[in-house]
Amino acid sequence: MNRSLAVLLQAGVFLALVVTGADAQLPPSSGAGRLFVSVFLVRGSVAGSAAGGYGLFTQTLGDTVWTRATKSNVLAFGLGYFDNGLTRRYYLAAGNGVHRSTDGGKNWRILTSWRTEEILGVVPDPVDSAVIYAATPLGVFKTTDDGDTWERKMNGVSTWFIQRIVMDRRDRRTLYAATEKDLYRTTDAGETWSPMGSGCAPMLAVLQHPAMDSVIIVGGEDSGLRRTTDGGKTWSAVRGLEKATVYTFRASRDGSDLYTAGWKTGLWRSTDAGASWQQVWAPEGIDAVYSLFVYPEDARHILVGTVGHGIYESTDRGATWHYAGLNGGQVKQIELYP
Amino acid sequence: MKKDDFGSARRMRRRSVTPAILFALAALSLSPRAHAADSTGFDVRRGQMLDVVSRESDPAFFTIAAKLKTGRDVPLALRMLDSMTVDNAMGGMFYAYTLMGTYLHCRSSLPDSLHRKIRQAFKVRTMYRGDTENHFVMYYTGMYLAAQTWPHEEGTQWFNGRSSDENFHDAEQWLRRWAMTTATTGQGEFDSPTYMAVFISPMLVLYEFAADPVMKRRAQMMLDLLFADVAVDHLKGNYCGGHSRDYPEDIINPLGAPMTRVTWLYFGEPSEARWNDARFHPRYRGSWEMVFGALGSYRLPEVIERIALDRQAPYVHLETKRVRNIIRFGDTTNPPVYKYLYMAPGYALGSLQGGILQPIQQHTWDVTFVSERPNNTIFTLHPFSSGRELAMFFPEEIKFLAGEVDRYHKVYTSPEKWNSSSPYEQTFQRKNALIVLYNVDSAAVQGHVDGFFPKTLDERVTDPSGWIACRSGSTYVGFFPAKEYEWIDEEIDWRWRSHELKNGVVVEVGSEAEDGTFSGFRGALGRSIPRFGLSKGKPQIQYTTRRGDRLLFTFDGDRLLNGRKVDVASYGLFRGPFLNSRLRSGIITMTAGGITRVLDFNRLTITERGSDR
Repeated sequence: MNRSLAVLLQAGVFLALVVTGADAQLPPSSGAGRLFVSVFLVRGSVAGSAAGGYGLFTQTLGDTVWTRATKSNVLAFGLGYFDNGLTRRYYLAAGNGVHRSTDGGKNWRILTSWRTEEILGVVPDPVDSAVIYAATPLGVFKTTDDGDTWERKMNGVSTWFIQRIVMDRRDRRTLYAATEKDLYRTTDAGETWSPMGSGCAPMLAVLQHPAMDSVIIVGGEDSGLRRTTDGGKTWSAVRGLEKATVYTFRASRDGSDLYTAGWKTGLWRSTDAGASWQQVWAPEGIDAVYSLFVYPEDARHILVGTVGHGIYESTDRGATWHYAGLNGGQVKQIELYP
Repeated sequence: MKKDDFGSARRMRRRSVTPAILFALAALSLSPRAHAADSTGFDVRRGQMLDVVSRESDPAFFTIAAKLKTGRDVPLALRMLDSMTVDNAMGGMFYAYTLMGTYLHCRSSLPDSLHRKIRQAFKVRTMYRGDTENHFVMYYTGMYLAAQTWPHEEGTQWFNGRSSDENFHDAEQWLRRWAMTTATTGQGEFDSPTYMAVFISPMLVLYEFAADPVMKRRAQMMLDLLFADVAVDHLKGNYCGGHSRDYPEDIINPLGAPMTRVTWLYFGEPSEARWNDARFHPRYRGSWEMVFGALGSYRLPEVIERIALDRQAPYVHLETKRVRNIIRFGDTTNPPVYKYLYMAPGYALGSLQGGILQPIQQHTWDVTFVSERPNNTIFTLHPFSSGRELAMFFPEEIKFLAGEVDRYHKVYTSPEKWNSSSPYEQTFQRKNALIVLYNVDSAAVQGHVDGFFPKTLDERVTDPSGWIACRSGSTYVGFFPAKEYEWIDEEIDWRWRSHELKNGVVVEVGSEAEDGTFSGFRGALGRSIPRFGLSKGKPQIQYTTRRGDRLLFTFDGDRLLNGRKVDVASYGLFRGPFLNSRLRSGIITMTAGGITRVLDFNRLTITERGSDR
């Protein structure tokens, strides 16, 4: 982790380093590192990988080879990362639990027990390494003892399927949970939740603007995008993507470019903090885009994770694209970690 | 089944069990015989099964176990085992428990190198847990036995980074909870002619090798419970009635299902000839889960054997099961499933209440009749499919779930499929009469209802009254369609199809013993014509059975029997002449032939009285 980020953390200003699913907003600021990609299922073979199958794949920046970082047969949904300047931990949300690596992805330990089924997303607390949140089909689960025990945290939530959890950029006790009925918010680290009246359901994706904390955008199944600019007091529709199914958001580091994509949408961009959206790319033969990544040091450099067609890459802000590997994979999340 | 398969079966039937196999079997450890079913037939059959499987050449743990325990092709078996522990791409719940079952049965005859490789298998490959109830049973059984076999090892020695103690504790906890849930509120993947075998098989291994006497007792009680659950729905090798999950090939040909191997080994039915036919079903080559039964010491209690075989008098059997975990778009996670079965000496009519009770492979109702010919069943369905239905049960995305499921199950979105759960289908059964209503939404992807009528029927005639009367041997089936329909001539069946969205059928089943001649049966049907109508826009059928019961059933409405509402919620976990249990009591009572066996899952006790052996 670089010095500036460590200083920010020590000062009590928390950046959302990790969120569930494909909605990560600010990866670590680093000119080096590896791309981490969670791959859920594979049609046929995974081209360019050291081994077939699904799981977690990594690629060193500047390289073109993908290497599987987990054993075979790991259904990988999402990624998480903890870095307090002294300790780095990597997390994988998978079909058989929350996995954690403390050695850069060489070895993994499953933290959850028989009580949890699929883990759709994992959000470690950015300060307290013992606190981790997990999004699951049967609710939010939280550990405060580094994964030894997990407690279901659903007080105030009227449903149980949690698609994603997103941690507020400024307050690590505030989290947002995307459910089939609404966006829920907790301000007490998961003890109680309240619906935010977003008007978006079933909800699939959430984005808190990286520079404007009160701007939150949500997207869902056949419900297009909804946006609040006052921290959830009021919500309104945006221009573009009406009734679309949206799976993911991503923002450039400064928030000047916001991206979203979903089912038969191609890639869309907003340059006005999500008020309006324009299509950037309409790839032929690719029905679904599930994950996005914008390089923090170069907002023109974009990765798109598809369902069944691997990863596509653009280095000119979406003007041209080329295939970047992992053919056949359902690419659930793409992150850049040290 | 293909002609070649019949040919192979005939050739195999001529084979006899070799003296070497019998000698090997005699050396296997056997449990005490008290209260066990007549073991003579079982011992013969397990010898036959091991003889057959030990001749297999496909690499599989079952084959390896059979070869090693019978002494046939031992070098080949060791090479197979070596290969299967080297390929790290293999792994998962099937692998975990079958590897442990094979290892624990055969470890005394393995070289040191294989001991090491088998231990390494749990370190270097992911034993994936899966996402269904049977997956979890297999996974946690495998992990329990692996952690028991290699105790006190650190997490670095296990694929999941968890220590032996942690893995053992996880598995023990899950298995304990699953047993209690099943004994109190029923299975989620219930009565599956395919998957019941992979519930029974892990329990056979667990019973055999659990060192903890409490877990061993739990496994024994689960085996008793699972076998009794099968036995009460069993008719000459057929697994009758509604099923949570089944494959189309087995739905239209019940004796082709994997459970036929189980019922043959433990109940002695179907006949050896039919078992031989079934075991050559191409889809199941290599799936010899019951090798662990043939090698093990669990013996079926006599009372369960009697339940499976006593078909002297017709009976009604009621059950409550539960829906697989609903993770979204529902009000509760595990709503109840209500099962009704009418069992007669030559046929069974069984049904679930309808609606979406299980994703993908539900089989809501059928009549199954004893026959020497294949395809001995009649049923209808609405071929429903939707991403939203799948998203109720699976966490992936609605838009591409159906396509993903089609990749594995091939037929999910097919309009011609023979398995389906549909929100537009509901049933009401009274003994050997059944009403099925269809209220298909005009926006539904498939706007038709299909019925399976096998060409192996002896007769299929349409009477002027509107009843379609069918005969297979001495079993009679009456089928009354409420609306217009057509027949589609297919290879093995006549497909009954109706495109009416507000629809319904009435089914009456009888037999020569109950109704005399076929013409007499037809005459009785002709005197009782169902009345179809709409009540507030929803289909309704009013019908007086040929036995005089008055049924009134409205879609989404009450089921009225002789003017009184039927309370399906009162079914209990089991209710019938053989098998009884109050919901959530944890106490299962089996009664047959003067024997009563009680499983108390609260105290983990088995009590039995009345055994004459």
